Amino acid sequence: MTKQISIPGKRSRIRWLPQDNSLLKYICLAPAVIYDSIFFLLPLVFLVWIGFWSVENYRAVPGFSLANYSDIFSQFFVKSRYAYAIAQSLWVAITTTALGILLCYPFAMALMFLVPERLQRLLLVLAITPFWTSYILRLYAWQTILNNNGLLNTLLIQLKWVEQPVTIMFTQWGTRIGLLHYLAPIIILILYLVLRNTDRSLLGAARNLGATQWQTFWRVILPLSKPGIVYSAVFGLIISLGDVLSGIILGGGTGQSVLGKFPLFSTVILNEYAASTNLPRTSALATILIGIMMIILVSGLKLTESES
Amino acid sequence: MSTQRKQGIDLGLAIAGWGYLLLGFLFLMLPIVTLIAFSFEDARFPTFPWTGWTMRWYQELLSDGRLLQSLQRSLIVSPLAAAIATVIGFFAAYALNRFNFPGKNLLSTLFIVPILVPPLILGVAFLGLLSRLNLQGQVFSILLTHVVILMPTAIALISLRLAQMPKDIEEAAWNLGANEWQALYRVILPWAIPGIAGAWLLAFTFSFDEFIIAWFVSGFQPTLPVSIYTFLGANLSPSLNAIGTIVFGISVVLLTGVELLLLPLLLDGRSSSREM
Amino acid sequence: MNPLSAAKPQSNPSLQTGVPLTENAIAATAHDLEIRGVSKQFGSLMVLNNINLSVKAGEFIAIMGPSGCGKTTLLRIIAGLEGMTSGEIRLQGKDITHLPVHRRNTPMVWQSFALFPHLNVQQNITFGLTLIPHNRADVKRKVQEVAKMMHLETMLNRPISQLSGGQKQRVAIARALITEPKILLLDEPMSALDPHLRVRMQGELKRLQQTLDISFIYVTHNQNEAFSMADRVVVMNQGNIDQVGTPTEIYSRPATHFVAEFVGNNNLFDGEVVSVSEKTVTVSCPQGRMQALWHEQPHQVGDRVTVVVPAERLSLASAGTPGENTINATLRGFEFMGSQVIYFLETDTGYEVRMIRQEALDQSLSIPINSKLQLSWKIQDTILLGEQIQ
Repeated sequence: MTKQISIPGKRSRIRWLPQDNSLLKYICLAPAVIYDSIFFLLPLVFLVWIGFWSVENYRAVPGFSLANYSDIFSQFFVKSRYAYAIAQSLWVAITTTALGILLCYPFAMALMFLVPERLQRLLLVLAITPFWTSYILRLYAWQTILNNNGLLNTLLIQLKWVEQPVTIMFTQWGTRIGLLHYLAPIIILILYLVLRNTDRSLLGAARNLGATQWQTFWRVILPLSKPGIVYSAVFGLIISLGDVLSGIILGGGTGQSVLGKFPLFSTVILNEYAASTNLPRTSALATILIGIMMIILVSGLKLTESES
Repeated sequence: MSTQRKQGIDLGLAIAGWGYLLLGFLFLMLPIVTLIAFSFEDARFPTFPWTGWTMRWYQELLSDGRLLQSLQRSLIVSPLAAAIATVIGFFAAYALNRFNFPGKNLLSTLFIVPILVPPLILGVAFLGLLSRLNLQGQVFSILLTHVVILMPTAIALISLRLAQMPKDIEEAAWNLGANEWQALYRVILPWAIPGIAGAWLLAFTFSFDEFIIAWFVSGFQPTLPVSIYTFLGANLSPSLNAIGTIVFGISVVLLTGVELLLLPLLLDGRSSSREM
Repeated sequence: MNPLSAAKPQSNPSLQTGVPLTENAIAATAHDLEIRGVSKQFGSLMVLNNINLSVKAGEFIAIMGPSGCGKTTLLRIIAGLEGMTSGEIRLQGKDITHLPVHRRNTPMVWQSFALFPHLNVQQNITFGLTLIPHNRADVKRKVQEVAKMMHLETMLNRPISQLSGGQKQRVAIARALITEPKILLLDEPMSALDPHLRVRMQGELKRLQQTLDISFIYVTHNQNEAFSMADRVVVMNQGNIDQVGTPTEIYSRPATHFVAEFVGNNNLFDGEVVSVSEKTVTVSCPQGRMQALWHEQPHQVGDRVTVVVPAERLSLASAGTPGENTINATLRGFEFMGSQVIYFLETDTGYEVRMIRQEALDQSLSIPINSKLQLSWKIQDTILLGEQIQ
């Protein structure tokens, strides 16, 4: 059998290269993409779309109208007073997240630098333990602890540190404690991992150059852990904004805070949905909440992008 | 090792640090200990001072068919949901690990986002879709939702494990004559097993923790928010404490598995690949 | 030695006229591997620039060069792990350019060995064979053969994690050889081994190659490895092949500036040809006037050239010996390398010169640092290179 020899220098292409897009790639990605599209994106898009429906004769009518949103914004400061709820949610979320990071950071630091290597893993697992219990039941337990005649107050009065029980229940401080207890394990984990991945030689170098412990922390460790802080902040804010249970169980629905006695936005949404009178408008409210979270998420991503 | 570290840290600071750790663990553990303790207390409502020990809430639990039934349901739904999420997640993680393509970052973000969306919104959105399909209020619906929120964790953990895989072993498999599928099945999959197992365990635990919701959704109350709302308004039975303790106990067993498989991935990933 | 390769003409006229040849005729030219016009462009960077190379059957070829020169890329292109912008590759006459990696049968020994961690030694070795329908007894027999050849008989059931570096390397080689390939690719396989083990393995590897009589393509940045094992050495630089030749040729007759600098210990002096006589060429350099033999190095007056003097060819001058070039330099230091001593000297113009002598350290130490010395070398040891094309 004769074969033509190709003239050298001709353009040639291998039909399959490892980096190429092959059938395998599409088959591997397809299940996840399809599943998320149908059971995640679709419901969310649907939810947002319902927010643009109109209500006629107490029935929801598919369509596209801004009636719900204009209704919501007309009630922003009066009647339903959504603006105050949003402000309350943001206030609680921001303070909780800030507090959470402030409190968890030293914890992660202590875990990283004080605890012997072998014990670190065990203690980290213990710190994540709260995850393995039911969130609702934990809140219920906190109720027992924070009640006016609960564990904490009983202890404080016995120790004669206070005379009257300290009211924590039905204030936003109660909400914060519940949220903190939910967020703490994850924030500790994130910060610990970030600290663990810090180049140790940088710390040694700083000390060699005469930096004090404080300076080493402030000028070397802290800047390097910035991505971890941003992730924790984004996570904390989004979870806090979306949480309903802590606000209701510990905050009593309309917990008292510095801003006043306002409900959380998430609670408002839940209540409106449970009342089931105006689905399109409730969906519009939920969309607003999603919008706020997207802004936080995107800002967080932009922040970490600019770092790297 | 620790003495070296302590040389760089004042004794005073070290003491403060340990004290802080103690306080932190106290905060983290307190509700759990309370939960377990009060499941044994002989009182309708948990109060102080302690009234007495009893096992009657556990007995009540065992005789309450509904609660046990729901627990049973969870023990079926959770492993299944975890398995589905893990399988889908493995393939997605493999593709993300191996290929580079425009829009890869966007796709990765899409895969991660479900874990950030609050269950409240997800519940509302999901029920909106399900009610149109008349699928609401069924155990099957729980399965479907759970897979959505379990997938990000599965993908993240398996990706972590795959990232530690020496790049050349897949190339070596091809080089020796394996096509893509053979290499995936005979080289990549064996490597990924610890990640897959860890992801499954973690997903199982997350889904299992959602027991309370399942207890309602699969019961008489069809819609999720309504159920929770009602639950919160009603009187709480200490049997729930008992359930919580049992859930915690089962989770501890799973936790040990996770600890054995996952943490080596998270912490010492580099050294395990050095053993190659 | 394959008689066919000895008789092969330097260039095949059939290739140039494009007249079709039969496959048998191609095989008869007895080239295991032909790389023709292979180029790889990455953006604006030419990673590989028109690489042409023919590997004879049963030849040990070393591809040598600094990191980034493209040697590993070339190897991976041969294996099919990377693509090229243009060119073709033929294995025993058959065009494999379009074949995907898993169909080429060009097994590779990786730098990290790339052994499968979840399989034991035997399973690693038989991996390639188990991918297609196979006969158990056959496979078992082949494993025994290859294990014996690589001294692994006692370790077949051991997990990979329990092997030493040298053992891992042998498993990697056994795994590659069991499929009976015609060509073996090796990507710096010694770099993960201890130095003393490396030297031993060099001998073993060479013996293995000769016993099997298949071609080895061996990529390395280490000159000792390349020179001790290869039949021919390919020196690569920035995507180009600078020179191909036997170790001796490369060492004593570097063809380019780069090769002269990269290989061995050479001193390079840039200068201009000032006179040409029947026997000699005289070059004027900042360091002085030097002469080289004319018939070996045809040049004209005015040519810019580089004078290359191997460090081993320098010695301390005894007064005015004819037939020798001299330069003056100041001694700045020594480096003691076992039986050799490297002298570091500096000329008046601040130029570094190196001299290597076989002697004991105490002899060298008798010469005080900063003393002015005169160095000489034989004219016939001078190599001239044309102007470096930048």
